[in-house]
Amino acid sequence: MSTLPSIKILTNSSLLFDVSHYSEQHILATQKKLWALSQYCKNTNEFIDLVPGMNSLTLYLKSASNLYQWQNTLTKLWDEVDDYAFESQHHKIDTYYQGDDLHYVANYHQLTIDEVINLHSKEIYHVLFLGFVPGFPYLHGLNSQLFTPRRDNPRVSVPKGSIAIGADQTGIYPEDSPGGWHIIAHTDACLFDATASTPCLFKPGDTLEFVPVKRNK
Amino acid sequence: MIKIIKPGIQLTIQDLGRVGFRHLGVSRSGSLDAYAHIIANRLVNNHDNDAVLELTVGLCELQFECDTVIALHGADLNAKLDAQAVYPGWSYPVKAKQTLKFDTGRGGSRAYIAVKGGIECPEVMGSKSTDLGAAIGGFNGRALQSDDIIKITPYTQSWLCNKGALTPPKRKVIRLHQGPHHELLTPECINAFCTTSFTINPNSNRMGVRLDHNNSQIMQHSLSLHSLAVAPGSVQLPPDGNPIVLLNDAQTTGGYPLIGHVIEADLHQFAQFRTADSITFEFVTLEQAIAAKNKLDAHLSQLKLSLNRYWAN
Repeated sequence: MSTLPSIKILTNSSLLFDVSHYSEQHILATQKKLWALSQYCKNTNEFIDLVPGMNSLTLYLKSASNLYQWQNTLTKLWDEVDDYAFESQHHKIDTYYQGDDLHYVANYHQLTIDEVINLHSKEIYHVLFLGFVPGFPYLHGLNSQLFTPRRDNPRVSVPKGSIAIGADQTGIYPEDSPGGWHIIAHTDACLFDATASTPCLFKPGDTLEFVPVKRNK
Repeated sequence: MIKIIKPGIQLTIQDLGRVGFRHLGVSRSGSLDAYAHIIANRLVNNHDNDAVLELTVGLCELQFECDTVIALHGADLNAKLDAQAVYPGWSYPVKAKQTLKFDTGRGGSRAYIAVKGGIECPEVMGSKSTDLGAAIGGFNGRALQSDDIIKITPYTQSWLCNKGALTPPKRKVIRLHQGPHHELLTPECINAFCTTSFTINPNSNRMGVRLDHNNSQIMQHSLSLHSLAVAPGSVQLPPDGNPIVLLNDAQTTGGYPLIGHVIEADLHQFAQFRTADSITFEFVTLEQAIAAKNKLDAHLSQLKLSLNRYWAN
């Protein structure tokens, strides 16, 4: 990873720290450093928001007068930051593998239902970043044997708690939303509750695993 | 209390927005025309962040159930307090049972009603703003409907204020910061973007303003990027070549190239454009963007000073 990060001024009070040109092989390692960088910046209390994307971090400053200072400091911080400095939380998600598209996904890959469940539930996933709707995690770690092209016809409404696969990603829907991914399972876990002291279950950098459970009669 | 007789196209409770949660996917929300919002609040001696009503295009009717003072700003939607015409940029005492009725207008899209003491509702994640997508904040997370009743604290003291605020002119040329993906787009595309006249697509809303134009073929592309953070003011260029200017309710990340970012001083203009209005874009330097913001801020400070002097007497 010898390539230099790209730091761009977006506006008079925001910067884009971009390392998305780094090798695809190192997506997770790069992202871990970004979480640590974000954590460092957060602790300075100089930012309104720090928003990770896929191998990038956008920094929204409280005071526009510090723009150049931060632009000039970030590369050095990037070199110094230790990706293990970031503390993440691990979540076990009780998962009912009974989704409407479970059979489709199994047939598509010529796997049995149990093999799909096993491939999906044996991995540890990383929350790379959130977006789309509050609490929606973009996850890293889907086994390539489960990569499935998105549905030809997106559903108008995917129920809250649906766990789905779309292309090389898997995710959980925090609320009823339209979606073109294949629903393979459901969870009762609450991903977003605006009235809770911690409104979102996941934050960038957290890890999770899907734990298969059977629904009681 | 204020009773909603008719909400019009979209009537919501907004403050200046919800910040600090974008990394969790939570949008800013808040008044689209933050400038009009602040002026309306200052005219009734509120805090800048107090919650106001944002109404869209007009045809809205409210009944006051108690005495208060109101100020309007933003679009002139031909409002009447009972039979008396009321204008943006001024404050008016209101008596219980009076009705505020908006017709429509030609001068913009969104009007702001500030009420003395602010609209009262619970704060959700640090803000009273209605987030229509996540269904949180404001009045039960939704736009107001007929017969809804919103809370205000009565203000019964006499109110005399002969000071008003000007409505800033509508701009036809929107100033932008250069986007981070300039080098990925062709020079022909950037050139077309700077020379084309865009019209506001009717499918525009609080999430974003969609722009139509005749040069979309030149601006088409097949770039696919890693998702990155976006914010109100980000100008996305989807593969079809029709730009989208993101506004307050937009999601927090996106994968389309960013061709630019509307400067802070011009962003409020997008609250007021109407379908078929036409605009062009001009890239400016950071210094020009800061100067434009300072000019707006100076205007706001001047208003504050002048009103403070008035109230001190």
